[in-house]
Amino acid sequence: MSRIDEITRYVVAEFAPDIRADELDADYDLLDNGVVDSLGLLRLIGWLGERYDLPVDDIDLAPEQFRSVRAVDAFVESALVKGPAL
Amino acid sequence: MIGWTDEQRTLRAAAAELGAAVGKDHLERDATGEFSRDGWALVRESGLLGLPFGTEYGGLGADLLTTMYVLEGLGEACRDGGFPFSVTTHVVSTGVPLHRFGSAELKARYLPGVCSGSAIGAHAISEPDAGSDMMAMRTTAVLDGDDYVLTGSKSFVSNGPIADTYLVYARTGKAGAPDAITTFLVERDSPGLHVGQPMGKMGLKTSPLSELFLDGVRVPATRVVGKVGAGFLVLDHVMKWEILLSFVVNLGEMEHRLRESVRYARTRKQFGAPIGSNQSVSNKLVDMRIGVETSRKWLYDTAEKLVARKNVTTDIAITKLVVSEANLASALAAVQVFGGYGYMTEYGVEKDVRNAVAGTIYSGTTEIQRQRVAAMMGLG
Ligand SMILES: Cc1cc2nc3c(=O)[nH]c(=O)nc-3n(C[C@H](O)[C@H](O)[C@H](O)COP(=O)(O)OP(=O)(O)OC[C@H]3O[C@@H](n4cnc5c(N)ncnc54)[C@H](O)[C@@H]3O)c2cc1C
Repeated sequence: MSRIDEITRYVVAEFAPDIRADELDADYDLLDNGVVDSLGLLRLIGWLGERYDLPVDDIDLAPEQFRSVRAVDAFVESALVKGPAL
Repeated sequence: MIGWTDEQRTLRAAAAELGAAVGKDHLERDATGEFSRDGWALVRESGLLGLPFGTEYGGLGADLLTTMYVLEGLGEACRDGGFPFSVTTHVVSTGVPLHRFGSAELKARYLPGVCSGSAIGAHAISEPDAGSDMMAMRTTAVLDGDDYVLTGSKSFVSNGPIADTYLVYARTGKAGAPDAITTFLVERDSPGLHVGQPMGKMGLKTSPLSELFLDGVRVPATRVVGKVGAGFLVLDHVMKWEILLSFVVNLGEMEHRLRESVRYARTRKQFGAPIGSNQSVSNKLVDMRIGVETSRKWLYDTAEKLVARKNVTTDIAITKLVVSEANLASALAAVQVFGGYGYMTEYGVEKDVRNAVAGTIYSGTTEIQRQRVAAMMGLG
């Protein structure tokens, strides 16, 4: 499974259980459309940090990075470039 | 169990000495609600305010666990509960977010004042209609040229009356959205910023608190702390530190209270025997001890997890709930153990109950911590 598919599955399972993973467009605005709220954002960041071993505490976090599944995937990519958590 | 080094123990002993000195006249100042300016001068000299910050800013560069251990010592020795609350508020409200999210320019300009204590810090999040539901805040920040213009009011700002620098959280986006809030550094003398009168309160009377009114306050865009829209994430980071640093002080207070209560229960005689020989009294002391040990475990385990970069969103909520409730239970139990003397102001035992109630409200109420844990479990 590709990373973007994995992220989509997580988002659907945790925040939009009424739809199927293939129904969530990778560019769908998760924040503006209320899929992920503020606490949801913390859960998502926590999951990403543990799942991909990301140094989330060293990154200048901004909600923009979590606006859509595609944005999240790009965030993971750039965070991985910075290196895994110590 | 963490093995502390001699250096850490020395730092803690210094904090304890400082706490004992500041707390000397605590009963008088609790009665008048007076912040200890002399205490602040002492704490500035000690370097304690810069403990967790980089040496390049005048800090001591201590790690999180050392900072907690030293503050625990302050709590254990200082009978003026409001004073350490002002100290930790100063450190976490401005220093912590600047250190983690501030631009190089903001850090260079403001962190030295945090470390030396020359500029007292405060943060303003809560509003009259947005307390637990902080995302509903109404204070707005609108970009106008190179400045943001802040308008609104904040209801409970610890250190408000004495602060020089405020971290104000204001809405820059769609109400309720996770990217709606931004963090601004606002100087006290900014035109349009009005600091309210100190508010009377139940406890923590020596830590002044006020409202804050923002009437078209212009803040340069360069004084945004973190990214625009990242205020919720900034606050989440601040809350982790606030809970660990502020409540480890309560752990120290509980340790002191337990020791005094045991001593009293062993020496106070009624019906020809120490009151502690009655199981209904000793059970209270055992419960106080359990509160201390449980709090210690949650505080330091969570800190270790945070340092190891694990996700602590659930742990931090549980820690806050466990320690604040244990502190309140311990303070109430102590009043009961001391009997009438516990209830009278002059013995300084009842004051702890009034102080401890606050801990179940600030940094997110007990109910909200339960909500958080539930949310992290995928409920609600
Ligand atoms: C001593 C002290 C110092 C403070 N310092 C600061 C400071 O420096 N800066 C700052 O910004 N704020 C500060 N605060 C404010 C504090 O953060 C708020 O009081 C707190 O977040 C609760 O908000 P509220 O008072 O509006 O109560 P409300 O949010 O109105 O809550 C009232 C009651 O309803 C309960 N409740 C609300 N929503 C829910 C829910 N969803 N589920 C279950 N129960 C719920 C609460 O738990 C509480 O019991 C301070 C408060 C105190 C007491």
